[in-house]
Amino acid sequence: MSERRLLVDVHRRLPSFTLNLRLEVGEEVMVLFGPSGSGKSMTLESIAGLVTPDRGEIALDGRVLFRRGHEGAHTNVPARKRGVGYVFQSYALFPHLTVLGNVRYPLGRDHGARDRALALITQMDLSQLADRYPHQLSGGQRQRVAIARALARDPEVLLLDEPFSALDPGLRERLRADLRVLQLTRRLIVICVTHNVEDAFALGDRLAVLRDGELEQVGTVAEVFRRPSSMSAARVLGISNIFHARVSSATADGVALDWEGLRLSAPAQPCSAGDLVPAYIAPEDVKLLYPDRPVRGSLVANQMHAVVQSIQHRKDVRIVRLVVDNGHELEARAPGYFYRDLDLRPGAPILITLRQEGLRIFREEELL
Amino acid sequence: MEVTSVATVLVVMVGTAAGLLIARVRFPGIQLVEAILLLPLVLPPSVVGYYLLRFFGSGGPIDGLFGVNVVFTWVAAVFASAVVALPLMVQAARTAIRGVDPVLENAARTLGSSEAAVFFRITLPLARRGLIAGAVLSAARALGEFGATLMVAGNIPGRTQTLPLFLYDAVQNQQYGMANLIVALLTGFGLISFIIIGRLEPAHK
Repeated sequence: MSERRLLVDVHRRLPSFTLNLRLEVGEEVMVLFGPSGSGKSMTLESIAGLVTPDRGEIALDGRVLFRRGHEGAHTNVPARKRGVGYVFQSYALFPHLTVLGNVRYPLGRDHGARDRALALITQMDLSQLADRYPHQLSGGQRQRVAIARALARDPEVLLLDEPFSALDPGLRERLRADLRVLQLTRRLIVICVTHNVEDAFALGDRLAVLRDGELEQVGTVAEVFRRPSSMSAARVLGISNIFHARVSSATADGVALDWEGLRLSAPAQPCSAGDLVPAYIAPEDVKLLYPDRPVRGSLVANQMHAVVQSIQHRKDVRIVRLVVDNGHELEARAPGYFYRDLDLRPGAPILITLRQEGLRIFREEELL
Repeated sequence: MEVTSVATVLVVMVGTAAGLLIARVRFPGIQLVEAILLLPLVLPPSVVGYYLLRFFGSGGPIDGLFGVNVVFTWVAAVFASAVVALPLMVQAARTAIRGVDPVLENAARTLGSSEAAVFFRITLPLARRGLIAGAVLSAARALGEFGATLMVAGNIPGRTQTLPLFLYDAVQNQQYGMANLIVALLTGFGLISFIIIGRLEPAHK
């Protein structure tokens, strides 16, 4: 079987903002990431056929669901015929129907509809709840009903709008894993809207960063977080460690920066001497150094003194906030088992380095 | 009584459709349509009756188009009650339908429902309470209709005489026993209507 592909190319002008987006999604989980009002939900609604873009094209495996351009025939397949499953933010379960009624709803009055619905309910681990009404269910159960219902007609595409926003963290994790299994077993094209960084990391194969209706960056999740393509992408992602530095020299071999008294060296990037540029170092590229061990390779260049501000333990990562000599703050992230032997207490002095290859300069001249 | 039943059925269908239109469709002039539908609520019944008379009477558009003259018949009484009760139904339907989350309707669309299926399987069941309340209220109003009925249907005993008209005659002829009976009947019906509506009130959650 050839891989399924969804092409989305939508443009829609509204008084408040303009949606302008082109995206190709395969059998994967594509996370649409961005602040509210960036056009994430409208993108989903366009794909589902609930809103009509001004122009553009939406095609699933070559089947045109929507096409409207400056000339030529217009196509606009109604929502009911698109074969796109949609899980709404509030789940939008029908309050007057039971779990079974909800899951059965899309199957119509067909023979065997009941059996199919029951099979799905069992698959989603809801068999005890088939006769309950939505208001008798917990948030996680409602979400599973919503997914079961969206999958009832075997769609190729599953759209999820903030599917985890109403759930507590433990449950989130389980349901993310469930969603991944569904994606793989049913070979779904999944597009998931979120503004939660952890959802994006846990769920996404690829990440599309949206801002003001425009696509800022598309790439694998790790890549986007590590190397945001622009300052606004970085800001959308809630990334720290952006600072302004003056370019002291820029050659084919590398860039030298002056960050308020600290000399930094970065790989060659387009910029010119004398510019004040926004620079970024991923928290994973801020390394803490052991005073008694030799420093090698790309860690030699940007060494500096810092003072530990605070330490935060997450599930499998430790975040250390630091203040460097020029008074600015940096964030370092590393797996919890790193730096075990270092004396990391708030107030402790420490030597750090910014991995040379990781130091990036953003092109745009935006003020922080 | 038959007049009221037929009028109520008519009002519920037209009123729900109009309520749906007002609640869900946006087009220029919708406010004017809404105002016209609600107008009988504030106009004196005799004015409504006069409009109906000109509309249905000889020389009116219905007479001109179909050559039918329903004035002073049973049908005219139905129309008179219906037009007067319609605003109540329209308002109830509009409120009830606005109370249905459009997201649910969108969900049904993505699940393969046509617009008609969305209406009958989602919107209608969810707006049910409000619609029933509107229907009961309209029925009560239709039953009590006096002025407009008198204008277009007259007061022909056994043919176009409705209960309120009958009451009027009874009082005129000093048949107070009969009058008391009718008054009790109409009051009782009104009371029951409001009790039913009150029972429907607690929102379906």
